[in-house]
Amino acid sequence: MKTQTAIQLSNIIKEFIIPHERYDTLREHFTHILRPRTYEKFRALDGITLSIPCGQFLGVIGNNGSGKSTLLKVMAGIIQPNRGTIRTEGTISPFLELGIGFQPELTGKENVYLYGAILGLSSREVKKRYQEIVEFSELERFMDQKVKNYSSGMAVRLAFSVAIQADADIYLIDEVLAVGDLSFQNKCFGVFERFKNQGKTIVFVSHDLGVVLRFSDRVIILDKGQIIVDGDPREVVDRYVKES
Amino acid sequence: MKTTRVVFYSNLIRQLVKSDFKLRYQGSVLGIMWSFLRPLLMFGVLYLVFSYFVRFDIPHYQLYLLLGVIIWNFFSEASLTSVFSLVNKAGLIKKVDFPKGAIVVSATLVSFLNFLLNFLVFIIIFFLSGEKISATAIWFTFLVFLLFFTALGFGFLLAALNSKWKDIGHLWELLLQMGFWLTPVVYSRNMISEAYDWIFEINPLATIIDVSRRVLIFDDAPDVNLVIKLIFQVVLVLVVGYYVFWKRQKYFAEEL
Repeated sequence: MKTQTAIQLSNIIKEFIIPHERYDTLREHFTHILRPRTYEKFRALDGITLSIPCGQFLGVIGNNGSGKSTLLKVMAGIIQPNRGTIRTEGTISPFLELGIGFQPELTGKENVYLYGAILGLSSREVKKRYQEIVEFSELERFMDQKVKNYSSGMAVRLAFSVAIQADADIYLIDEVLAVGDLSFQNKCFGVFERFKNQGKTIVFVSHDLGVVLRFSDRVIILDKGQIIVDGDPREVVDRYVKES
Repeated sequence: MKTTRVVFYSNLIRQLVKSDFKLRYQGSVLGIMWSFLRPLLMFGVLYLVFSYFVRFDIPHYQLYLLLGVIIWNFFSEASLTSVFSLVNKAGLIKKVDFPKGAIVVSATLVSFLNFLLNFLVFIIIFFLSGEKISATAIWFTFLVFLLFFTALGFGFLLAALNSKWKDIGHLWELLLQMGFWLTPVVYSRNMISEAYDWIFEINPLATIIDVSRRVLIFDDAPDVNLVIKLIFQVVLVLVVGYYVFWKRQKYFAEEL
């Protein structure tokens, strides 16, 4: 039953244009025509072809700037590739770059309801899960405070607690463990186990090789926007350690 | 468990409206009173100037002016919140893919709620000054719809353009100030030479304000051709605005 493909990327190329000066105002757009263009193209993803079957826990490792976050953003449909096609099957709950875009001037509670709606939960469903979200994040006392007063660890905890309640088929998780304390990390591990048992598809980016090894069914290494190794977690991680 | 699209959109817009509403009046002592104070103060100043300093001879000038100010104020407020709405929600847009049109719809709706409250004030003053509502007022409900969609159309267009060129917001603030004097808000259309009639004819707001005054204050049914032309203009604004927004929306996460 679970033999379908959850995410199919074919020959994805994503280039960012890095201007030496940014042309953000109309005037600059006019005046720069007269001058020679001074920008570089940075190829963040260079021909990625990847097929992730439903229910797979895919670990993504690689050095900084190798394209891991860009890959997740493309999967999430947040940014458009210059070339290549993406097909995803099912709903996606992204958790990218340590957050889910909280509104700093709103309270934790208000943010939970707003983000729940964005993920497609009705207010009733959010209300039903609210207690669970709060318990998971351990922020009972802070839910009526504005998020701008949260520490970065608190914000990440709340964000992750909401993201995992989305009832999605695919979870894209980027570096959630970087700021959490030990007890939060253990909770996250519990969630990963549960998702695996429920047959969810997970793409997990981390520098914590131990965790990647513990949960992944398959690991890829990204380097300069290309998949250089793809295969069995043990072998891939060993090779990554050896080469760096 | 999967909600349908309609439920999803309406829930999303409701949550966005709720949070926009909270954000707008947060930390201010007078809170929602500001939504009354702004148009009323503007009305007060304009009334003083054009009723005492410059003596306009327009019948029912208080109501005439107040209605114009309320309608203009809605348009200006809605389009200004829309133009900056994507920038204000950049955090969300960069983190998750969701229908971004909902952001502009909710920005327009929040201003529309203010407009309805303001209109309530107008109605109270209307009856206090001994006026009677007549059957032609039914036209006004229809005009309110057109007004909403005009603001929404401009909102889509401006928000999308401002994502790419951050000048658009500042430019729009200036254009609104000019637009205020090029729209018959404080004066009446027939005070202006017919040579300039085209300025009002291409301006849907001029027609909306003009016809609203006629049906509410002067109990005068509007010319059907005029209404058809207005509908055509509003649909054009909405279609062009949404088309540009829809074409650009996949780039917002990178531009913002």
